[in-house]
Amino acid sequence: MTLNTEMRVNRITDEVWEIPATEKSGMVVPARIYATQGILQSMDRGVFDQVTNVACMPGITRYALCMPDGHWGYGFPIGGVAAFDLETGVISPGGVGYDVNCGMRLIRTDLTLEDVQPKLERLMTELFRRVPAGVGAAGFVRLNRDAFDAVMTRGACWCIEQGYGWHRDLAHIEEGGCIGGTDPSTVSEHAVGRGINQLGTLGSGNHYLEVQVVSNDRVFDPETAAVLGLTGQDQIVVMVHCGSRGFGHQVASDYLKTFEKAMRRYGITVKDQQLACAPFRSPEGQDYFAAMNCAANTAFANRQVITHQIRGAFAQVFDRSAEELGMELVYDVAHNIAKLERNPEGYLLVHRKGATRAFGPGSPDVPRDFQKIGQPVICGGSMETGSYVLVGTDRAVHETFGSTMHGAGRTMSRAQAKKSIRGEQLQQDMKRRGILVKAVSMSGLAEEAGFAYKNISEVVETVDRTGITKKVAELRPIGNIKG
Amino acid sequence: MAHSFQFLDDIALADLAFEAEGDSVEELFCSATGALLETLADPATVAATWERRMEKVSEDPADLLFDWLSDVVYWKDAAGVVFHDAELSVRQEGSTWRLEAVLRGASVDQTMQTLRSDVKGITKHLYDVRQEGSRWYARVVVDV
Repeated sequence: MTLNTEMRVNRITDEVWEIPATEKSGMVVPARIYATQGILQSMDRGVFDQVTNVACMPGITRYALCMPDGHWGYGFPIGGVAAFDLETGVISPGGVGYDVNCGMRLIRTDLTLEDVQPKLERLMTELFRRVPAGVGAAGFVRLNRDAFDAVMTRGACWCIEQGYGWHRDLAHIEEGGCIGGTDPSTVSEHAVGRGINQLGTLGSGNHYLEVQVVSNDRVFDPETAAVLGLTGQDQIVVMVHCGSRGFGHQVASDYLKTFEKAMRRYGITVKDQQLACAPFRSPEGQDYFAAMNCAANTAFANRQVITHQIRGAFAQVFDRSAEELGMELVYDVAHNIAKLERNPEGYLLVHRKGATRAFGPGSPDVPRDFQKIGQPVICGGSMETGSYVLVGTDRAVHETFGSTMHGAGRTMSRAQAKKSIRGEQLQQDMKRRGILVKAVSMSGLAEEAGFAYKNISEVVETVDRTGITKKVAELRPIGNIKG
Repeated sequence: MAHSFQFLDDIALADLAFEAEGDSVEELFCSATGALLETLADPATVAATWERRMEKVSEDPADLLFDWLSDVVYWKDAAGVVFHDAELSVRQEGSTWRLEAVLRGASVDQTMQTLRSDVKGITKHLYDVRQEGSRWYARVVVDV
């Protein structure tokens, strides 16, 4: 087996591979990669280098993990998971990602493909008008500093109080859409300046809003799907992928700088500057945790305001209220975050960077509606292929700190993708295949071509076979909005 | 002054990277700024109706370039603008480097401008500023 590393990689099972702690100087724990042999062979060198760099960090417990959608990232690989002891461990923006609480949200409807197809062009135009995307786009919500502080501390709850959504939405958001332990005084004015006008905006890059179809033959577990409100029968759903925008990025950048200096003071060395960190219990670590939680709440609020706009667009196009259209929130889940979570070892600080929480049935952190099926996991594929809904399992809690994959994972750089196809050509090709795309930037569209990503189905099969999540349904795109 | 930069194919899988160069630190700054402005939008399609004057000092030209490029990203979001051009002066004063800049652009307008990638920040991943002979080089990975 040829891999993009010289390190020894041992097979644990057909889908779990381990790099022993002896393979790199400074490793505290082994590194484990979840992948089929084929996916493992396609993983870039950065995955092996970075997951073993993470395994060298102070206070890491059990394993440094990488999910099957893993690829090179900043500090941690994308798909990276690591849990740290609260007393001896660290917190690192490189384990959270720049886009704090980048995440996925899925909204169901009672509409079918037959209902939507004749009005798809009008629907996508209305969604494109109501949900700003792309460079420098500002949202419709005008905030003063006090209101932005409220968004930082109350997240999606603030949105509901302002009328941007339904109270019951909160029960279907990770952490109820509002993470505690925030402190706006730990956030720089630069971060506020970047974020205050961006509530309700998609951004660009791999962020999107997608109208999708759930067909009968792609529902793998009808009983679980029914609990989630997914009926199949060409049902229409809407998926949103975005995060805390420039605000979260500025928080991460600010604290990377703070931590570079703090590490010298605490005598911490890391293998990569992008893994800059501070002891979790230190003043710097606690400040970052509070600021990161502010950014996480801003991301929940961002997706909530976008949901409000989506409901408005559907109501206008179909001339019925969003309630009448059955536009309930299925779930909203973060995939870039660090959280204090109960584990067999006790409370740990779990970093997920391009990885999704996947708690099993009966977990107290799973909403009451989903206690019997486990926490919903929403995984976005490329805009040309499809996305998946899965549910968490007890096995994930025991093996992966309750974590699983988050998406397809790239295999080709943005620069290469742009050289391979023009955005206009891709847009026409997709239209012929029944996917209507509205994009602010044609070069940005080309960067997101399906061939630049792994086959999400193979990634999903990996986590399904290992049992760290179980697949429920595949969602096929018919309309996409990109920045 | 012509900007000298190229986008790099294989440095950043999920993001964008460029290498800029120049015969002086000032030329290097101009080239790197040109690359960042081009990443955000086609400068030829952006008017110059917004302007911001800035000054920065640092003992290290690498830190100064990083902070300056980060400031450009900040103003993109804070003012909701993309950029037409930047006029830069970079000089050494004893042990410090001083940057004086005029950044020009216009409010984002999807109907008039060719918009590209919404850069979220400048990263330290593989960040490198170096002098080889009389030529200065910078490699920059930007998070999109």
